[in-house]
Amino acid sequence: MEVLNQRSALLSNFEVLTLLRELESDHLARTKTALRIKKEEEAAGLPPRHQAPPDDVCENLRTVEVEAIQYLSADYQPTSSQCPEGIAQLTRNLAQWDLTKAEKLQIVNLAPTEPVELYVIVEELEDRFGDKMDDILSTVKASLREPAPAVNGTTNGEEHQQAMLVEHVVYSEYQEHYQDTNHWDYDATEVVFDDTGEGAGIEGDLDVEED
Amino acid sequence: MFQLSIIKDTVAVQPSQFGLPPEQAITNDLNKKYANRVLHDVGLCVCVFDLAEVGEGKVRYGDGCLWYKVIFRMVIFRPFASEVILARVKSSDEDGVRLTVGFFDDIYVPLVYLPEPSAFDSKERAHFWLPGSEATSSHELLDSALTDRMYIDAGDVVRVRVESDEFHDDEPGPPKAHEGVQQAREHRRPPYTIVCSMSEQGLGPTSWWRNAGVETMDEG
Repeated sequence: MEVLNQRSALLSNFEVLTLLRELESDHLARTKTALRIKKEEEAAGLPPRHQAPPDDVCENLRTVEVEAIQYLSADYQPTSSQCPEGIAQLTRNLAQWDLTKAEKLQIVNLAPTEPVELYVIVEELEDRFGDKMDDILSTVKASLREPAPAVNGTTNGEEHQQAMLVEHVVYSEYQEHYQDTNHWDYDATEVVFDDTGEGAGIEGDLDVEED
Repeated sequence: MFQLSIIKDTVAVQPSQFGLPPEQAITNDLNKKYANRVLHDVGLCVCVFDLAEVGEGKVRYGDGCLWYKVIFRMVIFRPFASEVILARVKSSDEDGVRLTVGFFDDIYVPLVYLPEPSAFDSKERAHFWLPGSEATSSHELLDSALTDRMYIDAGDVVRVRVESDEFHDDEPGPPKAHEGVQQAREHRRPPYTIVCSMSEQGLGPTSWWRNAGVETMDEG
């Protein structure tokens, strides 16, 4: 094992969040398919043939994936209100000022909307940009947009939550929802995935409202 | 906060996975080996980003696996020095504050990097800051009015600047038995720790600085 290049590129939080969400929707889709196949086999009365799951998604990856998604899509982070076009526009606009690469990356990651936040990120703010501070802040504000429908997304979030549990009862209820895989993809990327593991339980699905 | 590292490694794909497309089997194996683990001097590995080069799968004498030489890119968590990040307070003790970002817990803010002047309130088990105070000893600070104190409570979202990070590669030595009785395990250092500071203006709990931009700029 050899590390060829320790730091070949820097990634923004948004890119990592998108990547992890894609990975997660992949994993969940595979778990559902595996469950469905298993159910079908049982229903058909076939003797269970020993078939190792085609790909066994390792625990560590799922753990770090879920926790990282939780951190990156938290309310106090601007990442959930960002979109690729917004970030592309922000980086284009930031190019007009003399900012270092690290400063630009931090502005994208933290999306400062207050002068004091910008002060912390950019060194010698008054000397370099005394009067242009407001321009920078308004450019940042323009690149953000309303967070993905988190409000009506809670019910979807619960759907996802239930899907995580390997419970046949819960699974069958949502079978019709997920058969359309496009719908599934849409949810995975747009909705804030709120995985609290087994916390909600089956009762969670009876109560439509979550706090 | 996140970077890409290019790593070269050799992966064995088990015969049971021959049905899968090789990229998938190789990626699974790499994730199994690296995800959520700390690579010394590199950082915390999150997941495989993509496979850059994959050699031909070769069969070795003695087992039935296909061995591939891979060069791949991995997403690594390693905030760089002087980067500003948001984290949550996990716990506080006499030596400082411990922060977490969910997937990584070993972020510490030692006493020297707390805003001046501040002290530790052992009843609340939390540090607090006394802005504008000229008291220097913690005794005087603990005499201050409760309403003046700005507490750093557990669960608060804080903005901190990364000062440095440390990697420790502690190998567990052979179990030492003293006269037949096993010694207790020595305290093991975490493989990767980050030291942060919240002593500047704008750092610390985000609630302190929200909508306070104009005033603090004038003071500073």
